[in-house]
Amino acid sequence: MRVRKAKKEAEISKNDPRVKFLANKIKKENYSPGSLIEILHTAQNAFGYLPLNVLQYITKALKLPPARVFSTVTFYHFFSLKSKGEHTCLVCTGTACYVKGAQAIVNELEKQFGLHSGQVTPDNKLGVAVARCIGACGIAPAVVLDDEVLAKVEPQELTQKIKSKLAAS
Amino acid sequence: MSMTKLTLQIDGRSIETESGRTILEVCKENDITILTMCHLKGITDVGACRLCLVEIEGVSKLMSACTTKVADKMIIRTSTEKIKRYQRITTELFAAERNHVCSVCIANGHCELQKLAYDVKMDHIRYPYLFPQCEVDTSHPLYVLDHNRCIVCTRCVRVCAEVEGAYNWDVMNRGTNVRIISDFNTPWGESITCSDCGKCVEACPTGALWPKAVVQGQLNKAPEFISDLIEKRKMKL
Ligand code: SF4
Ligand code: SF4
Ligand code: FES
Ligand code: FES
Repeated sequence: MRVRKAKKEAEISKNDPRVKFLANKIKKENYSPGSLIEILHTAQNAFGYLPLNVLQYITKALKLPPARVFSTVTFYHFFSLKSKGEHTCLVCTGTACYVKGAQAIVNELEKQFGLHSGQVTPDNKLGVAVARCIGACGIAPAVVLDDEVLAKVEPQELTQKIKSKLAAS
Repeated sequence: MSMTKLTLQIDGRSIETESGRTILEVCKENDITILTMCHLKGITDVGACRLCLVEIEGVSKLMSACTTKVADKMIIRTSTEKIKRYQRITTELFAAERNHVCSVCIANGHCELQKLAYDVKMDHIRYPYLFPQCEVDTSHPLYVLDHNRCIVCTRCVRVCAEVEGAYNWDVMNRGTNVRIISDFNTPWGESITCSDCGKCVEACPTGALWPKAVVQGQLNKAPEFISDLIEKRKMKL
């Protein structure tokens, strides 16, 4: 047998509302391996893509072989493994956020940066995506800028914040 | 499952057998040669390589012998011109898809793909070589995975999952971007599932998987070893 070096896995934040949302979904599906595609959809919708630590989390929860999960993810064009852009702005357009003005945020992003959902600036600095309910309805409209969850977002404040991020990088 | 006796015809010979078996099994028992690649006795057949095609009277398309069950009064042909033509095409595509340079391959002289090329008398390839950029994963302490020589038969995937129970391998992407992966497309040496048993290496028909302790042209694999192992595992002491 080979001596294995313990590999440190990328951390997943238990405080991230999206992680709680995902955990609930997995529980609802009874941790059934057969629900993999369903759960990957939920994760992709909440995160905008499938980060590796999220895949590791799902793999463990469903007790599936990692290669099986990775194979499934790469088979369907719907799933993506990379976020688009160095900075990412994920706007929740789920029901609660929609009612509280998510559309105005989407419009402002388009006006300021010319980006629709799924698009990235030509210099790859900023990518915009929309999600369907990230499990933070209480703070609607919610936006996740890079890994920071923003509450009760004002469109202009958001674009200002993005601009200073872009200027700093 | 109750077995019923049945009679069928293969290449003009009348053969008695039982229900539940595949055409390939019955052919083997009766010394009728069928070319195979993704088949390995004892593990699940997936019908991936399309080499074992046979003609069945009354069925318009060719069927893979490894995944098609026999039926009473079936009339099967195994070596028509049409079948030979398809086998030749399949073999040429294998050769064109990756970078198979036999003369410098570790498996030279002991490779199932090379043997297949002789069997179908492949003297040239009518398709353009794709020359894909392929990686060689040398991160495992004992073995190497060379994607240049992989034909994606998935024997390694099934042996590791079904026989060893480790499930280190699977297949990612689609089409020409298909690659065998360990874990999350992790370097093999960093796999958290591989038990270092070497079964995948033994099962691999080409020079895609090989032990580091072997020099070029000296690789001699024994996939039958895996089939024997599967049989022995059914024994009770
Ligand atoms: S060495 Fe054994 S456990 Fe590791 S990948 Fe190969 S078959 Fe699986
Ligand atoms: S590595 Fe070998 S056994 Fe595995 S798919 Fe490729 S050719 Fe087949
Ligand atoms: S609808 Fe936006 S967090 Fe639920
Ligand atoms: S051996 Fe039957 S399809 Fe490969």
